[in-house]
Amino acid sequence: MRAPAIVYAADPPAARIAVALDALVAVYHRPSGVTHLLAAPSPELLDALADGPADAATLRDRLAARYDLEGDADDRITATIDARMEEMIVAGLAWTT
Amino acid sequence: MRHALAVRVGPVGFRIGSAWPSPVAASRALYQGYPAPEDGIPDLTVRLYPERPWRRWLRPSVAIGGDYWLPDAAPLPLAQALLAAEMGMNLQVALGWRRHLLLHCSAVERDGRVLLMSGASGSGKSTLATLLALSGWRFLGDEFAFVSLGDGTIYPFPRAASLKNEAVAAVRAAGGIVGPVLEATPKGTIGYWRPPADAVARMAEPAPPKLLLFPRFGEAERIEAMAPSETFVRLTQASTNYVALGQAGFSALTRLVQGVPALTIGYPDSAAGLAMVERLWREA
Amino acid sequence: MAQDCDKPEKSPGESDAAALGVAGRRGVLMLGAVAATSVVTIRPALASTAASVLNCKIPIPDPAHAGQYITQDGRLVAAGTKDAVAPPPRPITGDEAKKMINGQSPAGFDPSSREAYVNYIRRLQHGTSGFTCYASLQVPRP
Repeated sequence: MRAPAIVYAADPPAARIAVALDALVAVYHRPSGVTHLLAAPSPELLDALADGPADAATLRDRLAARYDLEGDADDRITATIDARMEEMIVAGLAWTT
Repeated sequence: MRHALAVRVGPVGFRIGSAWPSPVAASRALYQGYPAPEDGIPDLTVRLYPERPWRRWLRPSVAIGGDYWLPDAAPLPLAQALLAAEMGMNLQVALGWRRHLLLHCSAVERDGRVLLMSGASGSGKSTLATLLALSGWRFLGDEFAFVSLGDGTIYPFPRAASLKNEAVAAVRAAGGIVGPVLEATPKGTIGYWRPPADAVARMAEPAPPKLLLFPRFGEAERIEAMAPSETFVRLTQASTNYVALGQAGFSALTRLVQGVPALTIGYPDSAAGLAMVERLWREA
Repeated sequence: MAQDCDKPEKSPGESDAAALGVAGRRGVLMLGAVAATSVVTIRPALASTAASVLNCKIPIPDPAHAGQYITQDGRLVAAGTKDAVAPPPRPITGDEAKKMINGQSPAGFDPSSREAYVNYIRRLQHGTSGFTCYASLQVPRP
C-alpha cells in the first residue's frame, strides 16, 4: 500500500521577516532568532503554507495558481518540493504534521 | 583594583583596572586627551590581574578579564601589559556591546561618508585606514565599526590603531608616529598609532557608509564585486554581536548590504592599495 | 540539506542562484534541481570572532587529566603507555595549534608528537579546556 504523502506546515508569514538581497532572500525567523538565506522556491513554499498545512502535491497546485512553474512533469515537481521542505525542516523553518 | 583609568572612546566609556601600575600608565599616555566616560559612568570594565596571586611578582603575568570573559585566554607578560589592556577593551566590546551592530572593520570618513574595510588580521585594514588618515581622511577606527541600529550610520570608535610587523615601518615611512612598540608578542611586533586630534575631537560624529571593501594584502591587483547575499554572510562572520541583536541586527545588516556596494580588492603593497581605494571611492 | 555556515564553501550568489533566477515576482518560479541546496543557515561561530581579539591557549591534556599521555589518534591514556606520546611542556597557543593542524612543526615541540596533539585537539568537546580556542581557529574539520 502506498505511504500517505507527508504533510508540511510552517509558521504564518508574520513570524518571518524576508528581505530579498539578490537571487537569495534573507529570512529572519522570529520564534528562533535564526537567520537563513533562501533561494527559490523555498520562500515561495513557506508563503504557500500560509493557507494551511499541505503535502507536496497541494503545494505544487498552490504555487501553480500564483506562478508559472517550469514545464516539468508533476511528479518531478513534487519530488523537488519534498526535497526543499526537508531542507527547511532541518533548518527549523517548517515541520511535518 | 589598585590602579585604574577611566576613558571614553566613541560611544563606549571604559574603566581599566589593574593590579600593576604600568598598564594603566601606558594606557593613560596612549589615550591622553580623550574624554572621560559620560557622566563619569563607565559602560564596560577591563580587569588586568594575576592568574595566581604570586604571579603579581614572580614572572609577572597579566590575565585579561572584566565584565565579560572568555575561557582559554592566555595571559601576557607584564612587559606587554599595554597589549593586554587593548585586548581587554576589544574583548569587552566584542562580548558586551549591544547598542550598535559591531563589525570587524576599519573605518575612515571623507566628505561626510564612510569607507568600511573588513578583514581578518593581516588583510591590511588597519594599515590602510591609518595611511588614509595620514592623507586627510578622518579616522573612525581600525578594529570595530559601530553601526547604528536606528539609521545605519557609522559611529566612530577611534582607539589607537594597532599596527603589526611591517605596517609599523610603512606608517612611519608615510610620516606617522608609531609608539610604543611591543616586540615578541603572540601576534609579532605591534606598534600603536595615536589618532589625530581631529579624530578624537569628533569621536561623537557619525556618518553614513558609502563603500565596503574586503582588502587582501599581498595579492596581484584585482577588483571583484561581491553580491549582497555573500556580503551579508561575510559580515555575519565579521560581527561579534549579530546573533545577540536578533531582529535589530538583521534589519541593520540587511539595510547595510542593500545600500552599500561591496568589493573585494587584492593589492600587492600599500601604495597600490591606497591608489585603488582613492579611485574606487571616486567611482562609487 | 541545510548547511552550517562558519565559512561558506562557495558564494551563495553563484551557480544555484544563477540557475534559479529571481523567483516569483516576475511570474516565473524556477524550481531547480531536486538535489540543489536552497537553504543556508547563518550560524556564525561567536567564539571565533570574539576570540580573534584575544590570545588563546590549549592545554594538552586539560588540567583535569594532567600528566596523561596522548595516543596517536588523540585519546588520553595512562602515562608511559606504549606508543603514546608525552604531553607538551606547556599549553600550546592558538597560533601554534593552527600551524600543527596545517602540517607544520612549531619550535618547542617534539615534531613526532604533532599528529597525536592535532588529533587530541580535533577531539575537543564544548566545555573542555581549549575548546573555545580551537573553535576560534576556524580550521575546517576533515
